[in-house]
Amino acid sequence: MAAGGGGSGDPLAPAGVPCAFSPHSQAYFALASTDGHLRVWETANNRLHQEYVPSAHLSGTCTCLAWAPARLQAKESPQRKKRKSEAVGTSNQTDLLALGTAVGSILLYSTVKGELHSKLVSGGHDNRVNCIQWHQDSGCLYSCSDDKHIVEWNVQACKVKCKWKGDNSSVSSLCISPDGKMLLSAGRTIKLWVLETKEVYRHFTGHATPVSSLTFTTIRPPNESQPFDGITGLYFLSGAVHDRLLNVWQVRSENKEKSAVMSFTVTDEPVCIDLTLSENKEEVNGSIFENLYCKKPLTSNCTIQIATPGKGKKSTPKPIPILAAGFCSDKMSLLLVYGSWFQPTIERVALNSREPHMCLVRDISNCWAPKVETAITKVRTPVMNSEVKVLVPGIPGHHAAIKPAPPQTEQVESKRKSGGNEVSIEERLGAMEIDTRKKGKDDLQTNSFPVLLTQGLESNDFEMLNKVLQTRNVNLIKKTVLRMPLHTVIPLLQELTKRLQGHPNSAVLMVQWLKCVLTVHASYLSTLPDLVPQLGTLYQLMESRVKTFQKLSHLHGKLILLITQVTASEKTKGATSPGQKAKLVYEEESSEEESDDEIADKDSDVSDLFPESEREKDEDIDEEEDEDAEGKDEENGEDRDIASEKELNGDSDLDPENESEEE
Amino acid sequence: MVEEENIRVVRCGGSELNFRRAVFSADSKYIFCVSGDFVKVYSTVTEECVHILHGHRNLVTGIQLNPNNHLQLYSCSLDGTIKLWDYIDGILIKTFIVGCKLHALFTVAQAEDSVFAIVNKEKPDIFQLVSVKLPKSSSQEVEAKELSFVLDYINQSPKCVAFGNEVNFVLLVFCFVPKISFLKKRNFFFTPRFTLSSSRNKKHAKNNFTCVACHPTEDCIASGHMDGKIRLWRNFYDDKKYTYTCLHWHHDMVMDLAFSVTGTSLLSGGRESVLVEWRDATEKNKEFLPRLGATIEHISVSPAGDLFCTSHSDNKIIIIHRNLEASAVIQGLVKDRSIFTGLMIDPRTKALVLNGKPGHLQFYSLQSDKQLYNLDIIQQEYISDYGLIQIELTKAAFGCFGNWLATVEQRQEKETELELQMKLWMYNKKTQGFILNTKINMPHEDCITALCFCNAEKSEQPTLVTASKDGYFKVWILTDDSDIYKKAVGWTCDFVGSYHKYQATNCCFSEDGSLLAVSFEEIVTIWDSVTWELKCTFCQRAGKIRHLCFGRLTCSKYLLGATENGILCCWNLLSCALEWNAKLNVRVMEPDPNSENIAAISQSSMGSDLFVFKPSEPRPLYIQKGISREEVQWGVFVPRDVPESFTSEAYQWLNRSQFYFLTKSQSLLTFSTKSPEEKLTPTSKQLLAEESLPTTPFYFILGKHRQHQDEKLNETLENELVQLPLTENIPAVGELLHTPAHVLPSAAFLCSMFVNSLLLSKETKSAKEIPEDVDMEEEKESEDSDEENDFIEKVQDTNNTGLGEDIIHQLSKSEEKELRKFRKIDYSWIAAL
Repeated sequence: MAAGGGGSGDPLAPAGVPCAFSPHSQAYFALASTDGHLRVWETANNRLHQEYVPSAHLSGTCTCLAWAPARLQAKESPQRKKRKSEAVGTSNQTDLLALGTAVGSILLYSTVKGELHSKLVSGGHDNRVNCIQWHQDSGCLYSCSDDKHIVEWNVQACKVKCKWKGDNSSVSSLCISPDGKMLLSAGRTIKLWVLETKEVYRHFTGHATPVSSLTFTTIRPPNESQPFDGITGLYFLSGAVHDRLLNVWQVRSENKEKSAVMSFTVTDEPVCIDLTLSENKEEVNGSIFENLYCKKPLTSNCTIQIATPGKGKKSTPKPIPILAAGFCSDKMSLLLVYGSWFQPTIERVALNSREPHMCLVRDISNCWAPKVETAITKVRTPVMNSEVKVLVPGIPGHHAAIKPAPPQTEQVESKRKSGGNEVSIEERLGAMEIDTRKKGKDDLQTNSFPVLLTQGLESNDFEMLNKVLQTRNVNLIKKTVLRMPLHTVIPLLQELTKRLQGHPNSAVLMVQWLKCVLTVHASYLSTLPDLVPQLGTLYQLMESRVKTFQKLSHLHGKLILLITQVTASEKTKGATSPGQKAKLVYEEESSEEESDDEIADKDSDVSDLFPESEREKDEDIDEEEDEDAEGKDEENGEDRDIASEKELNGDSDLDPENESEEE
Repeated sequence: MVEEENIRVVRCGGSELNFRRAVFSADSKYIFCVSGDFVKVYSTVTEECVHILHGHRNLVTGIQLNPNNHLQLYSCSLDGTIKLWDYIDGILIKTFIVGCKLHALFTVAQAEDSVFAIVNKEKPDIFQLVSVKLPKSSSQEVEAKELSFVLDYINQSPKCVAFGNEVNFVLLVFCFVPKISFLKKRNFFFTPRFTLSSSRNKKHAKNNFTCVACHPTEDCIASGHMDGKIRLWRNFYDDKKYTYTCLHWHHDMVMDLAFSVTGTSLLSGGRESVLVEWRDATEKNKEFLPRLGATIEHISVSPAGDLFCTSHSDNKIIIIHRNLEASAVIQGLVKDRSIFTGLMIDPRTKALVLNGKPGHLQFYSLQSDKQLYNLDIIQQEYISDYGLIQIELTKAAFGCFGNWLATVEQRQEKETELELQMKLWMYNKKTQGFILNTKINMPHEDCITALCFCNAEKSEQPTLVTASKDGYFKVWILTDDSDIYKKAVGWTCDFVGSYHKYQATNCCFSEDGSLLAVSFEEIVTIWDSVTWELKCTFCQRAGKIRHLCFGRLTCSKYLLGATENGILCCWNLLSCALEWNAKLNVRVMEPDPNSENIAAISQSSMGSDLFVFKPSEPRPLYIQKGISREEVQWGVFVPRDVPESFTSEAYQWLNRSQFYFLTKSQSLLTFSTKSPEEKLTPTSKQLLAEESLPTTPFYFILGKHRQHQDEKLNETLENELVQLPLTENIPAVGELLHTPAHVLPSAAFLCSMFVNSLLLSKETKSAKEIPEDVDMEEEKESEDSDEENDFIEKVQDTNNTGLGEDIIHQLSKSEEKELRKFRKIDYSWIAAL
């Protein structure tokens, strides 16, 4: 597990606060902060599990901590008969946490009960405890202190088993060998002790500053052929205060060669060291090494950095301190603890060997507020902000977009489009001329409305469009629609669709417009080959809006169609806009010559689209009327007159260009 | 290498915690609750399970502290035994075999050797209250056949029985009509019963009694009613003149009542999930603790009076401070309502995800067997009221390695008024949380039957498919939604498919994401996921398809479908032909993400059976019959962090994943090969470290004080000679003066000791008596093992003896002088202290 070290005041104290993951499943993370509080965090959900304040937390700050190993009891009873549904005990749970303090006492804290279990004082240290190590299986505890001594504790009885002088200066770090028979201690030099006799077995020298961390890296010696006595041939790793080098040592049988076997370089002093044994990966301060057993300094295999996102352009991303890191049991991911010790964030990061340098951008600004409420109720509220995309029926994206299916029509479309684009500049110029003339001539609203509308649509001027589209006068709408240039019909429809999706109040107004446009320009629309993709959204919108009485509105639509045809056959009257004719003729003459032939050819292709689209439109109109208040029937009469004429034209399948000329 | 044994079904997580009232230990450090066949001991501070007391072979139905020794706990079970436990160490002390089903247990402090229990002997629906005499015997198993009958025709629920205060021994039993019985002292005879007829209220049919509670000191009974009223009855000894007052706040039935320890306040709770505290039993003075999340089922009060706890219908216990602040929540697997979403695994946290609290998704860690958190999806205040139609979270799915979460919520008040909403949440790595990305209203016209992400590794564009009863399935893709103001992504509908207007019932992607299978009632359609063209259809005419899944890895050319008529079909996608079929009434079919295996659970009249097979061959790899008597509703494979290495063929399917399933009664079960001994409870494994705490300044005052009192008592009893502490207690006085005032007990409490130490400073004992005192002290300790801080005293043993020796030396100096004074001074005033 991660080796922790002391407080902040001491210049020769190791970096970082004492902290450790609970063994095995790493379900908890204990952190003794500088304010003397011990906090235990749940790693899985980043929740403060408990907080404990030792009674002497101000005088005797916690300097190191270690989780007790989980112990398997011997199997005492023979196997029971199999039973249905027994409880799964949470296995490998440990609940004792040993805390060393600055005054030399050691506290055993039970995380299950949330209270102090016992306090080891008598006969122990009389100075700051630097490191605590639990023995794997004997239930002993080893501690070392600034008072130069190493103490072996019997935890069961809470008594000192043995106390011996470990070094001439303070002993800063301890580590127990994998077989549990040897102990490494580090003060000025690293010593290997035989636990039974408490005799020094080996000396290792090499670090200039106090050694802050010691870890055995291997369980078995590298070559299996030699007989293994439990210690010879093993490697261990040491790190020192203010040292960017991590040394690896080998325990040799002979007493020769006392220098380090190899060393790793890191960019900064390591805060926390953890390693996975089978793959020989070591991870320091967010750096991971692949241990290759060669004798040159190695650099990291994988580096992880965490930084704040940096708000705006001016503030630069700041690095976030990593408090601890530990390998997960699957060896492919890493538990990272970062942020402030007050409210650390615990995250599981998957390792990717292909990415040598990972930079995680994390926003920890909101982590500062302690969330007591959440801690108790365990409810997390995901963020719902205004940037959410909302899809309601009728909005593009809610239903699959209607795509132009055959590729042939697409070509035509593009040609037509390009043709349209070519003239549009002229058109605009022409329109401008007309506009100026018009404005000079008369100030009639009905005349200026189409102009405004055209301008608004072309420039996409919101205010101008608002001025026109927000009128409630049905007659005005009708006249405006009648006089508007044909090329603006589609943009207008699209604009209307957009507005229909908006607020229901404005949608009511838009329905008037829509009805007018569709009745007046039905024949023009029916000539467009790409009508289905262009008005698909509108169709879906209407479909979804009139869903409630679908059949009724269908019937209504058909009846109206019949009636308008009957009335149209009785009356024949044409209404054309005066100023528009000349303009349209000009432009379309130019385009006519090019496109006429093509259109004549494609007519057959296009025509099979028409019946359907026509019907759709009619339905649409009717449905919209259905939606409207019924009181507008008077005006509808006039609409129908015009519409019927157009529809008749459309049905007779005349050349669209001719029709427009006729108008 | 794990020892291989028989694969057994083991329960995991979320057994019921709210079956009966929880019981606090005397010092409020622990809380006990029944949970299936076990009694669980939780710490009230850390919410951790300290012990699981197992020994009962059937449902545990009641627990009570032993009134004579508060370190012991009685429990009774349907297996006909009463067990006595030492809960500190989790040891079974004794088993009393009663021999008939016990439905509830009550203890009364005055009845030292007997407890009360509800049994049903003759007929299954007639319940009796009996008193069970517990014989004193040293053996582990004792037969307790001496039942004395108290009352019959009572309600099964222990809430309807309450024992009154000690003075009068009132026993209240309510069936549908309330009755009061009086127990006579000593013999437990019962005087004729009174009936508190609620005839005055008979007009309202809804005032049935639901629960009762007795005032701890006064002759007062509180009863809760169906109509939400609480009545406080007094003077009920008189058949005619009894009076009652009515407290009304609850609008729905009162679920439970409890008096505080002193009886000054009454706690009540109900479906409103609000804890109401009635102070002084008046309607005006009430305090509320609202938003507890679910119906309050039980309320209990700690004997120390500092904590309350409420058990809730969603399988949690909330521990509440005296000042009505929730301090801890012990939460099992939330099991209030039906599970619609099924079981899922969050790829990020590896937690099990399913419906949790109303409108929430719960994330349950299987490794630590604990709830991680609830994710609030609907984000609306939950109004708990009977018959209210709530928004239900019906579907959820994780996609793209946990980066996306899709949820579907639904509310259907009438047939035609369906409200549907689909939300797509994106996991934001920066803030480590989900952010709503797209909200889709009415994604379909009818209920969504299936939801699945395309989880192929190489798919560049996240894809989601929803299938609905309206006959369509929709393909949603993530598109770039950026405009000049912001960079954004959003989901849009890409394709809508249908097949002859049949209802779409299931959908699933093949492992590589190239094919989509959608089942329309009896027909399975295969679609190309690039062009969304219908590739082929399979139709077996064997009933509607209930489950559909593709084979994985080497079996990816197979498609499996299970129908409602009990046929399991396997189609070969290359030949487009039926490969094999089998007659199996499949309830759950789940593919293992790490292997080719597919687990199917079939339902028969005998129970549920598990079949594990590979699609390539119809012969199953492993069969386990009778995994559960109940219907299994959902199942899921959970990848293991560290693969196991079972060699035998029958267990190989458990190597890389573990299979969990959820039954209809919402117990989560799994398969285990480990022997029961390996699955020891946490505390039986913990280091057997002795608790030893050094003395605190507080101890110097309090502990010594107690010792002196004891000494004093003993001495006055044994010989008239009064021995009192001496002047060297001045350090203790010093401690008293230097200890901050806020940690000191009340002045009245300290006064006597303080005065003692000052006044008798000239006093002394004879030297030889001091060691005796120490001995006595030790005796005392061994006797009252129930003192929670007796370990402190043990620690002090050595210190005390040391101190004693000191005293001897000092005493001998002034001995002569003091002895002379003895006869002169009158110590009779000491007795008054």
